[in-house]
Amino acid sequence: MRVYQVPHHTFWLLTLGTFLAALPHLLMGPLWLRVLIPALVVARVLVQRGRLRMPGRLLRVLLLGAIVVGTVYTHGTIAGPEAGACLLVAAFALKLLEMFRLRDAYVLLVLGYFVLATTFLFYQGPLAAFYVLLVMMLLTAALIGINKPETHARPTAHVRLASVMLLQSLPVMLLLFVLVPRVGPLWALEIRQEGARTGMSDSMAPGEVSNLTQSAELAFRVEFEGEVPPPAERYWRGLTYSWFDGRRWSQAAPRHVPRDELVRFAQGSANTWYPGLSVAREQVPGPVYRYRVVQEPSRRPWLYALAVPFAEQRDIGLARDFRLLRDSDLEQRYAYTVTSYPLLKPAMSLPDWERDFNLALPEAGNERSRALAESWFAEVDGEPRHYADRILRWFRQEAFYYTLEPPLLRGDTVDGFLFESRRGFCEHYASAFAYLMRAAGVPARIVAGYQGGELNPVGNHLRVHQYHAHAWVEIWLEAEGWVEFDPTGAVAPERIEQGMEPFRDGGGGALQNLFGGRGGAHPLLARWRNSLDYIQFSWQKWVLGYNETAQLAFLERWLGEVSPWRLARVMLIGMVILLLPVALWVLLRQRGPARSPLQREYRAMGRQLRRAGLASPEHLPPRELARWAGEHWPALAGEFNRWAAFYEQAAYAGEDEQESRQQLRRLRRRLRWRLRG
Amino acid sequence: MVAALRTAYRRWLARRMPGARQQRLNQRRIFILPTGYGLFFLAIAAALFLGGINYENNLIMALAFLMASLFMIAILHTFRNLSGLVLRAGQQSPGFAGGEGALEIVLHAGDRHAHTGLWLHYPGVPAEEVSVAPGEEKSLWLTVRLRRRGFNAPGRLRVESRYPLGLLRAWSVLDMAHSCLGWPRPVPSDVCPAGGGEERSGEHRARQRGSEDFQGLRGYQPGDSPRQVDWKAYAGGRGLFTKDFSDPQEGWLWLEWERMSGLDTETRLSRLAWWVLALEQRQQRYGLRLPEGELAPGSGADQQRQALDRLGRHGEPEQGG
Repeated sequence: MRVYQVPHHTFWLLTLGTFLAALPHLLMGPLWLRVLIPALVVARVLVQRGRLRMPGRLLRVLLLGAIVVGTVYTHGTIAGPEAGACLLVAAFALKLLEMFRLRDAYVLLVLGYFVLATTFLFYQGPLAAFYVLLVMMLLTAALIGINKPETHARPTAHVRLASVMLLQSLPVMLLLFVLVPRVGPLWALEIRQEGARTGMSDSMAPGEVSNLTQSAELAFRVEFEGEVPPPAERYWRGLTYSWFDGRRWSQAAPRHVPRDELVRFAQGSANTWYPGLSVAREQVPGPVYRYRVVQEPSRRPWLYALAVPFAEQRDIGLARDFRLLRDSDLEQRYAYTVTSYPLLKPAMSLPDWERDFNLALPEAGNERSRALAESWFAEVDGEPRHYADRILRWFRQEAFYYTLEPPLLRGDTVDGFLFESRRGFCEHYASAFAYLMRAAGVPARIVAGYQGGELNPVGNHLRVHQYHAHAWVEIWLEAEGWVEFDPTGAVAPERIEQGMEPFRDGGGGALQNLFGGRGGAHPLLARWRNSLDYIQFSWQKWVLGYNETAQLAFLERWLGEVSPWRLARVMLIGMVILLLPVALWVLLRQRGPARSPLQREYRAMGRQLRRAGLASPEHLPPRELARWAGEHWPALAGEFNRWAAFYEQAAYAGEDEQESRQQLRRLRRRLRWRLRG
Repeated sequence: MVAALRTAYRRWLARRMPGARQQRLNQRRIFILPTGYGLFFLAIAAALFLGGINYENNLIMALAFLMASLFMIAILHTFRNLSGLVLRAGQQSPGFAGGEGALEIVLHAGDRHAHTGLWLHYPGVPAEEVSVAPGEEKSLWLTVRLRRRGFNAPGRLRVESRYPLGLLRAWSVLDMAHSCLGWPRPVPSDVCPAGGGEERSGEHRARQRGSEDFQGLRGYQPGDSPRQVDWKAYAGGRGLFTKDFSDPQEGWLWLEWERMSGLDTETRLSRLAWWVLALEQRQQRYGLRLPEGELAPGSGADQQRQALDRLGRHGEPEQGG
């Protein structure tokens, strides 16, 4: 079979573009893929150099079979994004060895764009976008190359044209990106990242090992519109634990309570508390915080917000314990806008089932704590607030220590902590405090989330890390509703005021230290780190987080009312405005350079002849023009020839150009006169 | 129905782009549509768009938009690659009817940019490829099918280009207002239509060596024309001989139209054409007498060409070519 020879000047562009398009998948793909693709590329290079024959059909079919087997071996399936991408990339590289016709080169290159796009399934940073743009330029250059017939064309020329074309495309791309309406997924698809994520879990067991607070991984970023709450008020609620089994606090609700009563989604059915709450928020005094959260993928549905949060997105629900959650797990970075009303908490009532549930304790166990609770509660005459203060004072005054490495506790963990070890972190204090509350008959629950956040002065946004994870307690006070208490703050107030930094013991790793992770770094490095963080955050907010809601908000701000008709009109007008200059530039650049006086003279002659009825004698050499005109007007043939002779003299003789030009003009004018006559 | 549409299309083309010997490609004359690869490219972009929606992945969506914009920009570039090109009808190179002739097209690029990867062809003939650099003038000979004797209009010239990306095809169909001459197809006949010529040439020849053109065979000498080698004898194993003809400078024949009464025009022309070739092969001097005039006796490639041209032009309206 005859093998299509990719033009020499394009072969390297094509091979490089193909390889680079597959490269991101190599980095994260299985070992066989990492071996196979470079091998295929090398084989193709050898074929091009004549060192190797193009493999036969049988070998290609075997290779394809091996790829399918390898994919199934690695992913267990050939469906789904990871397996699909793996299969696609391998088959795409195999296509290199199947180039028998020009058509195969086209298919390879156009598929290359697709393979390139799948990079974004796994990498979404600004650098990844830049890389993809670069490779796309190479693929486009290769496309230009296979369309260029000359054997001596230079690859740099293809690269230049491809870059120009891509740059010209960018404005229209941006327009489409901003204006094309985002819709929700058409069918459910999930993309699973390898490995578990650090973050909250739906239960906690103080006394067991916790590795959460050591992680420097980013949990989310927050950008406030307007006022940023002071550090002591930055309690990001994620979930509440209402059920205690003696060792473990977990998220739970009585079985008989319908889900719509617990969480309110826009598309859910009516419940008892939401209408009242949303009316109350119109009248609530005090601060209102409006902010946008961009949350890292957590593989959990919980979102983080200040109490009492409202979000407009339809896939976000509000739970009756003042937290937000999404209708599906966050498998990717997720952005949402929240408005919080800190003083709205009293508007929520406490039905009997909830009171009972938040008082429940195991029948037995932790007897010393129970006894302590009963005696102290009696001491303060059954006044819950005084009782809580009494406990906090106890935490503060006795030898309780804040440490991230507490001893393991066995048996009754609350008793063990309160009366023996007295060393622990937020979980221990919250758990003990809530237990003491419930034991005294005060409804209490544990709130888990994050506390604090580092302010990035460059973008004026907060960065909240995994080591900001925190647990605190909410108790029910008649007339005040749910009130937050942070027993950890009693022991380690600086934990709340200054954040986690002083307590962390180099958990951020070398990189974090290099970039001044522990506060004592060079200010220049810190600023650089902040700027980098700001770029990433803006990228996440504006590019990755530009979803249905953000688009609607953005368009409403700039266009006013948003209707499909209006959107279409704006898109059309925008397209024209953006494409017109490009079109003019592309098309009008063909206009020749400024004409010399001689050329003007020549064109004047052409016009003159046209007016006299001789069709379009452009681009003829002067002698031809004269001969042609002479045939048309035999009587004037001599004059025309003289004109041509003068023209050539002026153009090529070089000397005394001025005079021949004047002569030329005189001749032409005489001819004009005679042509009219 | 189809035929009617085709006629309507031709009429529309003729109105939109009347024939001219020189034409400049502009938006009036250029059509542009995606190629199969272009549709494939758009399908990939659409698939990415759907994928971007489904995975809620803005970057994949952005790439789909970038592909769509690149396609739009490619329209401009593909159009520009044809736009501004000037085509001029050049010379013609006739051939026998039923065979092929050739027409010259002179392409002239504008001053500023090149026209790359142009494919030109007349209907029914494979396309020829050419690129023209800025300010350059290039001439291209295009094969044309000659269906009949006389001037053949070659149909509309198709100029096509897919440069730069191959995703779009820009083309034009131009009536270059020129035509290619078809010589009569040679038809052998036993009787030489040179009645009277024999006697006259005889007069000439009598003074020379005798009445036969063909003088006999002599041994082959290096430098003898292969046309004169007696291949039949060679094939028969009798050795290499050269046919010796009498000196052609001295006699001539008049091939005459009038000598073939009773035959129709095309047959006459075909036979005459055959005899022109036959006499030329024998290096015989010959002249041609047609109703519209005569061609003075002579021989050689020039004479043959002129004779065939005259036969081809017989009865045709005067045309440039």
